[in-house]
Amino acid sequence: MTTVITKMITRICLPLAILFSISLLLAGHNTPGGGFIGGVMFVAVVALTYVVYGIKEIKKSFNPDWGNWFGFGLTISALTAFSALPFGHNFFRSAVEFIPIPFVGNLGLVSAGLFDIGVYFVVIGSLLSIFQMVGEDK
Amino acid sequence: MDPFISITSAVFLPFVLAAVVPALEKLLKHRIGWFASLIAFISFLLIASIIPLVHSDPFQASVEWLPSMGVDFSIYADGLSVLFGIIITGIGVIIMSYSTAYMGHKEDLPRYYQWLLLFMGSMLGMVFSANTIMLFIFWELTSITSFMLIGYWRNKPESVYGATKSLLVTATGGLFMLAGFIVLRAITGTFDIPTILQNEALIQAVQSHKLFLAALVLIFIGAASKSAQGPFYIWLPNAMEAPTPVSAFLHSATMVKAGIYLVARVHPIFSGTEAWFVLVSGTGIITMLVAGFLAFRQTDIKAILAYSTISQLAYIMTMFGYTTYQEPGMGVAAATFHLLNHATFKACLFLVAGIVAHEAATRDITRLGGLRHEMPITFIIATIGALSMAGLPPLNGFLSKEMFYESSIEMGHALGSPFTFIIPALAVAGGVFTFAYSIKFIAGIFLGKRPAKGLPPHIHDPSFVMIVPAAFLAGFIILFGLVPSLAVQSLVEPAASSIMMEPQHLHIQLWHGVTTSLVMTLVTFLLGALVYAKYDSLAELQNGFNRKYPMISVNYIYDGLVNNAKSTLKGFASFMQPGPVKNYMLALLGLMILLFAIPFFKLAGNSIPSLNFDVEPYEALVFIFMIIAAVGAAVLPKYLQAVISLSALGYLVSLFFIYLSAPDLALTQVLVETLSTIILLLAIVKIPQTFKEHISPSVFIRDALISVAVASMVLILLLYANQGIIPPFESLSYYFIEKSWPLAGGHNIVNVIIVDFRGYDTLGEISVMCLAALGVYNIIRSRGESQ
Repeated sequence: MTTVITKMITRICLPLAILFSISLLLAGHNTPGGGFIGGVMFVAVVALTYVVYGIKEIKKSFNPDWGNWFGFGLTISALTAFSALPFGHNFFRSAVEFIPIPFVGNLGLVSAGLFDIGVYFVVIGSLLSIFQMVGEDK
Repeated sequence: MDPFISITSAVFLPFVLAAVVPALEKLLKHRIGWFASLIAFISFLLIASIIPLVHSDPFQASVEWLPSMGVDFSIYADGLSVLFGIIITGIGVIIMSYSTAYMGHKEDLPRYYQWLLLFMGSMLGMVFSANTIMLFIFWELTSITSFMLIGYWRNKPESVYGATKSLLVTATGGLFMLAGFIVLRAITGTFDIPTILQNEALIQAVQSHKLFLAALVLIFIGAASKSAQGPFYIWLPNAMEAPTPVSAFLHSATMVKAGIYLVARVHPIFSGTEAWFVLVSGTGIITMLVAGFLAFRQTDIKAILAYSTISQLAYIMTMFGYTTYQEPGMGVAAATFHLLNHATFKACLFLVAGIVAHEAATRDITRLGGLRHEMPITFIIATIGALSMAGLPPLNGFLSKEMFYESSIEMGHALGSPFTFIIPALAVAGGVFTFAYSIKFIAGIFLGKRPAKGLPPHIHDPSFVMIVPAAFLAGFIILFGLVPSLAVQSLVEPAASSIMMEPQHLHIQLWHGVTTSLVMTLVTFLLGALVYAKYDSLAELQNGFNRKYPMISVNYIYDGLVNNAKSTLKGFASFMQPGPVKNYMLALLGLMILLFAIPFFKLAGNSIPSLNFDVEPYEALVFIFMIIAAVGAAVLPKYLQAVISLSALGYLVSLFFIYLSAPDLALTQVLVETLSTIILLLAIVKIPQTFKEHISPSVFIRDALISVAVASMVLILLLYANQGIIPPFESLSYYFIEKSWPLAGGHNIVNVIIVDFRGYDTLGEISVMCLAALGVYNIIRSRGESQ
């Protein structure tokens, strides 16, 4: 699998796919996408890199603790869910705010988007840590 | 200060400040105990500040908590809760100060003080709870904190056994109590205790209701398990594995009295009935005699105290039960007074036991003796405590014991012959046992000859820090004995009044002339001295009986239940979870066939769906590929080929999603398919590459039949649905399509549903994902360790 061609393609794909996954995450509220799909996209491309270059090789230069990622994501999501309480609203009440930006249009800010970011991190963290553990297991 | 603020801060201060204990311990080192006792002291002052208030009317206040359930965070402070609050925080201060010297500096002190503080907070929360749900929550919190404290020395198997036993017994009892509260709610329609207490008609309704007995028995099981009454006593002796200050605090003065508190709290609701007397006094009298008698066998000084605690709590229970047939108030007043007195003398004796164990390095009474010369101060304190327990004047134990006898005589009179004699006689028997083991406690440790060997050469009174708390309690024993009005007016009278729901006035005096109860006391001392003379032979008698019939014991039943639980459940688990995935699939698919068959046969009569071959050529092409891929996944001989075939099928499905204009489904399908293929490939490189399992022809036919049945059922149902034969019902999607933009500001309905409309589900799902990752981590790790 690790031919020069796959290595080259992976190298080109990696940044593009990560950008695409972020765009899927951010645009998900109105167009196809969302935290789950964006996260899986991210996982897929990192998994591809692991397979093509080998986990050991990648770990030398890039070795995040994916366990922290899902912890972080779960915290964000849970906090978002609780954040409505101090304002006297119900658990999980969402808020929508539109901010006009000159020449661009309205930027829609949704509290659910923050929740989605949490989902994104949970998907990435849990799937990649499973992937890494299964891959490294002898 | 506003009483509501005082009480809530007294309850929650320990909870909040427990969190900073580990950080402060870095700064204060072993002096952290003083910080904990300071917190207890603040709580004590806060509760003391409301004593004057409850003399008039009980204090009530609430904050909305779960309005839809009719449950508020509400506080109810009357004489009873204040009495308990004072005992909890007062003894708390003494215990935590004592612990600073008792606990070695190398112990895990933050954990110790944290759990002590959490326990104190839970206990306070429980006695000030106005509704049964809050009471239940704090009740179980005390069980959990007690579990952690008994099991403080985690490496000792006895501690673990004792902790588990106490949790199993008391937490299970708590569940019975909860069931009782729910029955009570069904009768009265409220969880709020004061609402019931202050409504005469409602209490009448409860007592005449057909579920009355159920509610009473369930709640009493909770109380009995917590206060170690009846067969539930077994956990308390094993709980003595806890550090001695914990035993003094939880298992003599406070937690074990939670059951007493509960009985007192529901007293206005249930008392005055025959069932109340039989259950409460009956259990009390039996426990009092049996536990008092069983104390003789114990050689551990803490175990002697544990059995005596059980027996003393049984006195209190018995007196609460008396209310039904006598001049109201007498038994209750005696019980409340004894509650306070028992807290002082028993905590004092536990502290002495701790001092002895600390200095002499043993708690075995057969190896102790003659320490009066070496530990004179401890000897004096122990004598005061033990003689108060034995009921000698002028100590406080004498007063409440007299009241116990008095109310027993009244009780006997009220019931008439032959109980006129029996009930006072049983009371005296309880007193005789108490007298005997109290004397044994002093004589075994301090009197007689010092054993020739086994004890450290130089034993002396402990440091100031340990002796003062015990001396303090001894001081109260004498003070309450000589000037009973001190405690009676401020604490006991309000408590008795709130239990009786009407003002009570007590006149307790040290000398009240020659009465029948005084004669009974003298008889008790006489018989007690005789029984003490036979102490060792009685203990030997019990030991002999136990050796001969080991089966006649509650512990035997408990151990049988707990030890067999493992093997019983193993059988159940291996039936439910046999292991191979195939078995689960068989069960699932079998159920699916069954469920599909019902609509299938219902609809079959109506009309037969027709097959529709009107497909585009490119669709037909994809279909053909899909069939090939599916067959390939089933028949290919190697894992690698099968996996690739399976993922080809997945990609083809996503192609269909695109035809049906569902781009996000297609995107998700492609990504998930990719990932699962990679993970499957990673997994299969580590196992043999071919399917080795031999499949017999009969199994093969069975599996094939099931597969074909499921597939054809799905196909037929889809055809029915497609042709509108299954009656359509209103689709939920219209709601989402309509509300997605105005309510959530998003056009992508799928995403809006995931993160907004059904965000709670998603939170659950991502938590499951995290748990799955942790699960995989554990499986891989544990396998690595076992190899």
